[in-house]
Amino acid sequence: MPEIMSDTPTRGYTEDQKYQIFNKEFMPHIDSMYNFAFRLTMDEDDANDLVQDTYLKAFRFISSFEQGTNAKAWLFRILKNSFINDYRKKSKEPAKVDYQDVETTYNSEEAEVEHTVDLRAETVSDLIGDEVATALNSLPVDFRTVIILCDIEGFTYEEMAKILDIPIGTVRSRLHRARNLLKEKLRDYASSMGYNEENED
Amino acid sequence: MQTSLPISSSSDTQPKMKQHCDHQADCLKMIQLILDGEATEQQLEKLKVNLETCQPCIQMYHLEKEIKELLQGRMEKKCCPEKLVATIKARIDSFS
Repeated sequence: MPEIMSDTPTRGYTEDQKYQIFNKEFMPHIDSMYNFAFRLTMDEDDANDLVQDTYLKAFRFISSFEQGTNAKAWLFRILKNSFINDYRKKSKEPAKVDYQDVETTYNSEEAEVEHTVDLRAETVSDLIGDEVATALNSLPVDFRTVIILCDIEGFTYEEMAKILDIPIGTVRSRLHRARNLLKEKLRDYASSMGYNEENED
Repeated sequence: MQTSLPISSSSDTQPKMKQHCDHQADCLKMIQLILDGEATEQQLEKLKVNLETCQPCIQMYHLEKEIKELLQGRMEKKCCPEKLVATIKARIDSFS
């Protein structure tokens, strides 16, 4: 049994109940799951495989899902773990080590204090979705993930903590750093396009 | 006789507005909590005051809000292909 569900007691559902839970509680989230998979892998074929694997796993381990609880968070957690275990290894993503470096850098007090990115709301409002997607995609995957979960999927910090298996405090600080990185990318992009040249301060 | 004296009143329309903030990093964290719906009543109250008195807070608030809205609203949401939905359903049905 995957570690993701090992902390949950198993339930004895009948075959009919299993199909009912699967169709009524799991399938309605398939578009969000696909979008999440696509944003993680940045590839349609990989997103397809990841979503299919996740749903098959979800069915296989359905007895560790408690009917009526947060199915979306439960599914996202399986998808995230499948991504880490099966896809990240073979992708071109920077390894965990790189991400640790980034997090360490941003963890220092110094980095926090001087970290106000010079970017204007008006500049951001001129950007289009594709430009933001490019900026988001350029972030290390762990930072990208928290932004997707919070801003795109609207999970609470508590749900994110469960999906990612990290404390809420880490959710908060990782999100904060992720947003600073995203703003840097957006600022660099905007200045390369000549959007943000005037600094009136 | 002089009609009026050049009274040097402040040309500043909002004299109490702060132009610089020493705890910008902390304010930014608070603003993010608020926009994420994770703030306490106390933090909400504090932001309300800051949005009337602190220029850097106003700017940060608008920037964070704009970015969040951009991510929520303007990025393409990929939908699951019908074919994949059908494949998954067929695989699951084959288990029974």
